[in-house]
Amino acid sequence: MSDVAAAPPATPSTDIEGEPNWQRLHPATLALAVVKLGPRSLQFLPAVAALGFTGNWLWIVPAIGAFLIFSLLAAWFQWLRFRFLVGDDEVVIESGVLSRQHRTIPFDRIQDVSIEQGLVSRALGIAKVGFETGAGGKENDASLDAIALSAAQSLRTTIRAHRSGEAVAAPVTADAFEAVPVTEDRLLFAMGPRRLLVAGLFNFSLAALAVVGAGMQFFDGLLPFDFNVFNPMDWVDIAEDYGLDQWLLAHRWIAGVGAILSLLLIGFVSGIATMVFANWDFRLTREPRALRRTRGLTTRTDVAVPVKRVQAAILVTGWLRQRFGWHELRLQSLASDGEKERDHQVVPFGTLGEIDPVLAEVAILRPDAGQSWQHSHRIVALGPIVGALCATIGGGVALYLGNNIGWFALVAAPLIALIAFWSARFHRWADLGAQVAIRRGAWKPKTTLLPHASVQSVDLKSDFILRPLGLATLVFGVPGGSSLATHEIPAIPLTAALDLRTRILAARARS
Amino acid sequence: MTDTPAHPTDPFDAEALNAAEGLDPVNPAYAQVLRIATALNLIPLAIGASVFDALLIRHIGGPYGLITAAAWVIAAIVIVSFPSRRVSRWGYRIGEGQLRVARGWLFRTDTIVPFVRVQHIDVGQGPIERWFGLSHLIVHTSGTHNSTVTLPGLHADLAAAMRETIRRHIQTDFA
Repeated sequence: MSDVAAAPPATPSTDIEGEPNWQRLHPATLALAVVKLGPRSLQFLPAVAALGFTGNWLWIVPAIGAFLIFSLLAAWFQWLRFRFLVGDDEVVIESGVLSRQHRTIPFDRIQDVSIEQGLVSRALGIAKVGFETGAGGKENDASLDAIALSAAQSLRTTIRAHRSGEAVAAPVTADAFEAVPVTEDRLLFAMGPRRLLVAGLFNFSLAALAVVGAGMQFFDGLLPFDFNVFNPMDWVDIAEDYGLDQWLLAHRWIAGVGAILSLLLIGFVSGIATMVFANWDFRLTREPRALRRTRGLTTRTDVAVPVKRVQAAILVTGWLRQRFGWHELRLQSLASDGEKERDHQVVPFGTLGEIDPVLAEVAILRPDAGQSWQHSHRIVALGPIVGALCATIGGGVALYLGNNIGWFALVAAPLIALIAFWSARFHRWADLGAQVAIRRGAWKPKTTLLPHASVQSVDLKSDFILRPLGLATLVFGVPGGSSLATHEIPAIPLTAALDLRTRILAARARS
Repeated sequence: MTDTPAHPTDPFDAEALNAAEGLDPVNPAYAQVLRIATALNLIPLAIGASVFDALLIRHIGGPYGLITAAAWVIAAIVIVSFPSRRVSRWGYRIGEGQLRVARGWLFRTDTIVPFVRVQHIDVGQGPIERWFGLSHLIVHTSGTHNSTVTLPGLHADLAAAMRETIRRHIQTDFA
């Protein structure tokens, strides 16, 4: 019942009470509500268990029945009380059973219309429509969950048509990407099964193993059979049953190779699977005002990134994939992508030659190979080195107290310090005229391409360590942060920092 | 903060610091505001330490009085000497189409916000500030980092005047 909790002050509108064409959500939404009952009924388990423990077995079935009927009734009431109206230049949404919400969203304020379909939704031919208004906070963004797919697409077309009409009427700006009117949609980037396979191979991950392992630990006592894949003792028992243990003892290296091979297999298979599920039939197209991305195997998403809202670009690669020329491009935008990400993955896996046209669409330049980079001072490694020092002291104390685990810390500490000192060299930056490129990371290099005009505020920081060295750290305030983007140039000479700050502040607004 | 007290020729002197960076100091009365705020935070802590001392240390026969004395001495030092020093390290500059706010010494941060990037402005006044006729100015930007920049210790009239200056430059629409 989230609608009871979330009650932002919706603008009350009194002028559209004539005989408007109110619409309801698709009736199949009720079917979705039934599907959603599955996970929600878990909350009901304790009550069932309590009934069972107290011996009131007879009451269990009626209780479950009452719960089901009550939930369905609630869903039906919500469906009944939810209605929306697509007007000439606004969307009106009314919702709520007990506390009514009335929300008016002018088309002008809708930055982005996203269409999302889960597995069940696709079977039912319905889709969830999200309106990105750029309002702070996720709960402030309205959505229609769910309407027929065709209705969703026509709604988006209506809103986009309205916005492009407005753009023609607006005074012409001198932006590079506005000067060239793009009339039809162009395909910028697509991923076929072959590319997905290659990308999946580079997506090698043992994370799935950890998840399954944790799950097995959790359900250890609940499994119907007494065998835990992650318990070596269980394997030993099986081996003994078949007389394998003698053979394995004699051929230990075979067991080792087998273990490594199965780990590799799990890593590659999970990497390919996550890549295929997320990026199946990936298409990035250029629309008049936005870049539009559709992707997904089971859950298909359709997201538009308005070109003018793009604040920065992030190029991510890996230590190994870099050798083969593969990169990933994300765009940082005011609009957020999904629940957790604050940036939009527009090229999950492509060559620089494929990335450049996409960057050109958002008027961001990529530094070429001959770009001369300026480096951060090695003092940025100080934090990890102090950490390593602490580990050394801790290890020493542990050894002194007679605990052999101290050796581990003593070995690890110099390694950490060395790696930190080595990777400090990979903190670098370059000023490309109208934008700054900030690069960091040795294992997973990330390059943030930040146009000067996106910068909202500049911090010049120094502290008791940087000041005697004549250094300073620049931090930029950029709309729509991202976990991958770094808007910080650490430990650069004070004069360079002051100079860069002056030049960035001289840039005019991007929008 | 164990450095020696501020001295006119001290390189750590904040007056010299602000002058060297072309910054204006905030109102000295802000030190009183900070002092009262610090006192309101620390005196309950010191009372807590005294109660702890009286109830537990005396009970177990430890060195009674040590913690009480230390708590009150530290609280007195912090309340008397730190606020004026902290205040002298705030600096601001308004002009040339931008607002500049600098604060801190051990960790110094010098923030510049161009007026055109300001989303909206607040002028706030707490009860202690009202007593001394001071206000603080809060500037909101759309950046994720630095989404709010606060400048305390301004005379109420000055804060209002700064708000008017900035308001004329605010871009109404970011879309």
